[in-house]
Amino acid sequence: MASEIRKLLPAMALIIVSAVAAWGISAAMRNRSAPAQEDQFSGQLGDAAAKNDGNLQKKFPVIIRHPEGPPIVDSGMLDFHGQSVMIACSTCHATQPPNTQTRTTADLDQFHKGLHVAHGNLSCLSCHNQNDYDSLRLADGTRLEFRDVMQLCAQCHGPQARDYQNGAHGGMTGHWDLSRGPRQRNNCIDCHDPHVPAYPTVRPVFPPIDRFPAAGAAH
Amino acid sequence: MSVISAEPEAAPTAERPQHWVSYPYFLWRSIVLATDGSLMFYAWMTMLTAVALVGANAWAHQVVEGMGVTHMSDHVSWGLYIANFTFAVGLAAGGVMMVIPAYLYHDEDMHKVVIVGELLAIAAIVMCLMFVVADLGRPDRFWHMIPGIGRFNWPVSMLTWDVIVLNVYLLLNLHICGYLLYMRFLGRQPSARWYVPFVFLSIFWAISIHTVTAFLYCGLGGRPFWNSALLAPRFLASAFVSGPAFIIVTLLAIRRLTAFEISEAPIRTLIAIVRVTILVNLLMLASELFTAFYTGGAHATSAEYLFFGLHGADGLVPWTWTSIVFNVLATAGFLYPNVVRNLPLLVVSCALAFCGIWIEKGMGLIVPGFIPSTLHELIEYSPSLVEWKITAGVWAFGLLVFTAALKIALPVLTGEAREKIV
Amino acid sequence: MSDSTPTQLPVLNNACSRRTALKAIGATLGAAAFARALAPLTEWTADLSVDEFLQKHYMELSPEELKAVFVRLEEETKQDYGADVTIADPRPLPGVKFGYALNLSICIGCRKCAEACHQENNHDRPSGNSYIRVLEMAKGSIDLEQGNVDYDHPVPHEDKFYMPVQCQQCDNPPCVHVCPVEATWKEEDGIVVVDYNWCIGCRYCEAACPYHARRFNWVKPQVPTEEINPDQGYLSNRIRPQGVIEKCTYCLHRTREGRMPACLEACPTGARVFGNLLDPDSEIRWVLANKRVFVLKEELGTRPSFFYFFDV
Repeated sequence: MASEIRKLLPAMALIIVSAVAAWGISAAMRNRSAPAQEDQFSGQLGDAAAKNDGNLQKKFPVIIRHPEGPPIVDSGMLDFHGQSVMIACSTCHATQPPNTQTRTTADLDQFHKGLHVAHGNLSCLSCHNQNDYDSLRLADGTRLEFRDVMQLCAQCHGPQARDYQNGAHGGMTGHWDLSRGPRQRNNCIDCHDPHVPAYPTVRPVFPPIDRFPAAGAAH
Repeated sequence: MSVISAEPEAAPTAERPQHWVSYPYFLWRSIVLATDGSLMFYAWMTMLTAVALVGANAWAHQVVEGMGVTHMSDHVSWGLYIANFTFAVGLAAGGVMMVIPAYLYHDEDMHKVVIVGELLAIAAIVMCLMFVVADLGRPDRFWHMIPGIGRFNWPVSMLTWDVIVLNVYLLLNLHICGYLLYMRFLGRQPSARWYVPFVFLSIFWAISIHTVTAFLYCGLGGRPFWNSALLAPRFLASAFVSGPAFIIVTLLAIRRLTAFEISEAPIRTLIAIVRVTILVNLLMLASELFTAFYTGGAHATSAEYLFFGLHGADGLVPWTWTSIVFNVLATAGFLYPNVVRNLPLLVVSCALAFCGIWIEKGMGLIVPGFIPSTLHELIEYSPSLVEWKITAGVWAFGLLVFTAALKIALPVLTGEAREKIV
Repeated sequence: MSDSTPTQLPVLNNACSRRTALKAIGATLGAAAFARALAPLTEWTADLSVDEFLQKHYMELSPEELKAVFVRLEEETKQDYGADVTIADPRPLPGVKFGYALNLSICIGCRKCAEACHQENNHDRPSGNSYIRVLEMAKGSIDLEQGNVDYDHPVPHEDKFYMPVQCQQCDNPPCVHVCPVEATWKEEDGIVVVDYNWCIGCRYCEAACPYHARRFNWVKPQVPTEEINPDQGYLSNRIRPQGVIEKCTYCLHRTREGRMPACLEACPTGARVFGNLLDPDSEIRWVLANKRVFVLKEELGTRPSFFYFFDV
């Protein structure tokens, strides 16, 4: 019946109108979101570089902290002023022959006693230089200053060294934009004790507070 | 000679003069009618005023001290206010179940009482707006939403759609009721072209207010519990249960308390409507639950929390089972063959359906949308005293508006109020 | 049953009847009670300046008006919190779109980032607010349902990994779409910001965000004078008013001046990588090109600018 169809017309109109409206809104949403970036990783690189002209002159340095030099060790003795007597490695090791038999920390004596080492299967002389205890040695025997220790770590930890070089490993502070300021970066042993390199467990800080713990607990 | 009234609700026709006299007189008579009544009426109105004032006071404290006086949190960021808002939208839309038979199918008996549904819509929308304001952290910045002087994020934000549809629905019903009552007051035949188009628009609009309100929630991809295409149909089905249930009780109360004649026919029609919608609503609920629980996974966690509790958190379990039991009992009651003659059963069924839907659409729909949170944290919610006070206050005010509106409308319709325009 | 009203209705000359008098008394009492009920509001309106009430949307303020707003806000901070602060408004840098990546193999879940955020962004102290929540996740799943934020044992636990979550600065941000008053928007460098002086506090954005990134100021934030970070941005870490939404801005008051976000600097393990997605030589671009990267809840189509990756 024609009258029946006429009664249905409003419903059909409604459906069409809603569909068009929904399409319109979603189109509007698409237009509003994502200012400019069609493909954020490739599309606009030329533009970015052009706009970035100023920023590309990276004038500020990335400063990597280095250990200052050979470590000095607490001898366990006190001087006249009650201060600990700190001594360099070579103080003893210059005269003592290296003991290549020492494989584990249990074999250590004097103030190396109790030293905890958990670094794979390495022995002391894998890294310490038996010819000059004030320096380190690379796997091929090359002498290495303590301040360049990262090079030593990098021999085995290639992926980490690669990530570090690309800014994706290791803590830092300062500027992401080097045209505006410098950046300071940690070195390996800032975070990793070379003898026990696994990052230690810590107590978490700042526990989250739910505003109404009582409301939840009441049930 | 033609003096035209400037009153917005008056028909801007120039057929006869005197609107500038008769319209203010109509308004004055309305005030008199709305405030005249028996001792019981005064007791009722005083009680409602008192509760509304308690709510107003609680709201004032909430504005000053911050929403911290509620038990909402960053995890459950909407609570009792939005729950009641959602339900009240349904109540407003439910009135259309009288309008459709009356105007679309020319049901004369329904036509005589259809104004009850339209007045309910007005009162319910007023409540909706109050609940939204109660939920705002900065009600003083309400003007930011006004198109023109504020910034109205239309059409992208569904909330702006809701603002539009609710306010227009309010205006439509104010116009329809105001015009019809004014004409009846004058003793004149209302002119169809001044209200019938608006009535038909209001039918469409009643559907739209609840659909848009459902879209508020179901458009949020991050909330799997709401992100269901069935939400809007469910909203409508449940609205067409709670609205008619409330209206049936109102009609029975009017018949009992006033001289206004109400035949059995409109009640019969409303029962017939509820018999269908209450079943459709249960069916849709079952369909949602089947999808959730049979599939399982992230989409089911909120439903699991709602119905059975999750990891020891079960604050909503009693609510939701109460709702289910109420809805099922109400269904049985409505389906009882001669329920229209069995008034106690009818009233109880209506009350159960009303409360059942209130839980289902409120605490049972809004709150579990936030539990577990988007990071799957289980932070529960139960309303604070301030929230209950404000909610009760808004309901009291809504009932106050509804009572006063009926108090005006009924004598005007019977012609009792059509008096001596000097 | 029906009252006596109908018989009275026609009577027009009883204007001074007892009933009318009673009605008048009732109305007066009602009005008085209403005024009394809303009395607390007077205290609140006294606090609210006319300038603040009438302040226009951020985008509609001229540079001079904006300047005046900053001065007013600085004075208010001095008055309310006793701190001398500077409120600035660094704009997006041309050719910059910020990206953030987080290495889940390295993060130990110490929550130092959440703490740094709390201090940097002048968060409310009693609620311990922070834009970052750290999830302790079961190895073998990246289902958030397996996560837990309330852990309190030495970390990292050997069976767990840790996933800090903050604003993902989505390219298709649901929170921005839903705001009814355009109080939140996405800037050219990708940061989603909030005008705290325009937000009406409806919290629709909080419901829309799939990452729990937004926070509401349920009360006026409390920060001791000496702990206030005086380096403030209008759209970022200035002390927020009561009743408005706030969120992570990648510390735009720092990052738009070329500095790292506070959470990155606080990270003791270097799990965080921040930079310009439009610069092909940036660290963040190297991560995206060389690591297996994923984003949270990719299926929602939000297109985050925050990425997670594993080393192994």
